[in-house]
Parts: sequence; structure tokens; C-alpha cells
Amino acid sequence: MNKENYNHITDQELLDRFYEDHNNDWLGILLDRYILLLFGVCMKYLKNEEEAKDSVQQIFLKVITEISKYKVNYFRSWLYAVARNHCLMQLRDRHGKIPSAISETMSVITDEESEKNNHIEKEQLLKLMASSLEELNPEQKQCLILFYLEKKSYQEISDNTGFTLMQVKSYIQNGKRNLKILLDKKINKS
Amino acid sequence: MDNELFNIFSQSDKNIDASMLMDYLNGKLSGKEKYEMEKLIAENDLLHDAIEGLEKVQDKKKLQLYVDQLNQDLHRHLQKPKLRREKKRIKEYPWIYLTIILILSICIIAYLVIRQFLH
Repeated sequence: MNKENYNHITDQELLDRFYEDHNNDWLGILLDRYILLLFGVCMKYLKNEEEAKDSVQQIFLKVITEISKYKVNYFRSWLYAVARNHCLMQLRDRHGKIPSAISETMSVITDEESEKNNHIEKEQLLKLMASSLEELNPEQKQCLILFYLEKKSYQEISDNTGFTLMQVKSYIQNGKRNLKILLDKKINKS
Repeated sequence: MDNELFNIFSQSDKNIDASMLMDYLNGKLSGKEKYEMEKLIAENDLLHDAIEGLEKVQDKKKLQLYVDQLNQDLHRHLQKPKLRREKKRIKEYPWIYLTIILILSICIIAYLVIRQFLH
């Protein structure tokens, strides 16, 4: 199959086609879209190019064997979970346990959690978000404002603030996570 | 406060264009394209982790090579179940295949015998 002919087809459609006729070609097109990303995720955790390549192959095998066993609804989230779990198992085998610096970054905002906020009035949510933003540490607050409200790129934020690019990314990511925690607390109280 | 605060928690399900991603890593995107990509990165946990990992690769030229190798491996893995299915089919219907082989053998023998007689 020429993969360029399928660029317009969404992941969900490819997945549906695979579940319909169990033709592995659909799975091939789908996984092909994620090769670079999977390699990147494995590199993040394993920090070794050869190990990352081997891990991507093992993830492929896992996906090929597991995907038929049950219905996967959100392919990207599922694939991400499979990849991260695989890398964490590799790290556990290597170190005996998962390094704490990595396990701390594992909490992500899930679709289900964001759904929780839908019942709250928009105005009220906006107020709660604004007050939560004020409670963040100054670096995280500054980076979130510059990125989301002033639409500055990472490099521009780095130039404006003097933070390194790594710091900027980390302040944005951690800022988002902390903002979510603060917001959830306020929502539960109100 | 600005409505754009809501963007902080938006999760993108846009398909990620691998060539755009490579251009981003190689610093080839324009200011606006770069911001759009970074917004996508911030909204997509998989992409965020991937970028962090890809930035650890010193020689970015190797990335395309790795992708090509992994692509070949992927298609090899995908072919295996097909071959297994074929073998399984043969195991499930051995008499059909034996009959076909027998008929073909008889045809070949008959052809050889007739040829022998004619000579």
C-alpha cells in the first residue's frame, strides 16, 4: 500500500478498518505514523539510541499481538501508554526500580479528568483558573502567560526571561500540571 | 482574564506530520510555524516526550535512517502473522492440498508416459 494515499485518513478510521477486516496493512500505515515519535519517547527514557531502536521494535510486537485481543478506542493514548510502560520496565530491569525523577513526571492530565471540568460554568472556571495561576511559582506563571496568552515561542521566552530552553519547557509542563492540581482542589471545594 | 487561558488544558488530537517535526528539530520552521508546533507539543503528551527524546540525538541526520530501518522492521513483523495464517490454512485443509499435488503428479507422469510412447 502506498502510505501517501492514506494521509487524509484519520487514525480512528485506520483502526476501524483494521478491526473490520484484520488486515495488518492498516496497522502498518497507522504505526508508520508513530515511528519517529515512539523512537523519541524511548530516547527520552532510555537515553541510548540502540536501546531505543530495540525498544521500538518490541513495542511494535506488543501492539501487533495485543491490539486484536480487545478494542482500543484511543489509539494514540493507548500507544503512548504501551511505549511508556515498556520503557519503565526496561529501566526497572536496569536499575532495579523506576528512578524517582521519572516516576514524578508520569502523572498526566487524562481525557477523563478534563471531562470533569465540563459541568462547571465557563465564567466560574475562568476565575478559578486565573486565581490558580496566581498561586504558581513566578517562573511557571511567567512561562505559561508568555506561551499561552502572549503566544511566544520557546526561544522567544528564553530570550525574554534568560531561562534556558530546557527550563522554559519544564516550567510550561510543570506549570500546567500544578495549575491542574490547584484547579482540581478549588473545584472540589466549591 | 483572557479566554485563552482555556488553551492551557486543551489536548490536541491532530495528526502529527513527521516532516514538520523533522523541520522543527532542524530549526527550519518559520516563527509562526514554530509557535504552532510548540503549541501542539504542549497539548500532546506523546509529542512532548518524543521531542524531549529526539533532542537528545546529537546527529539529527541519523533520525531518517533510524525511521527507515524501523519501518522495514515493522513491515517484517507485520508479514509474520500473514505467513503464520497461510501455514495454518495448509494445516487445516491438508487433504485439499494433497489432492492437488496428487492430480498434478498424475498429470506429469501421464505426460511423460505419453511422450515416451510417441517416441
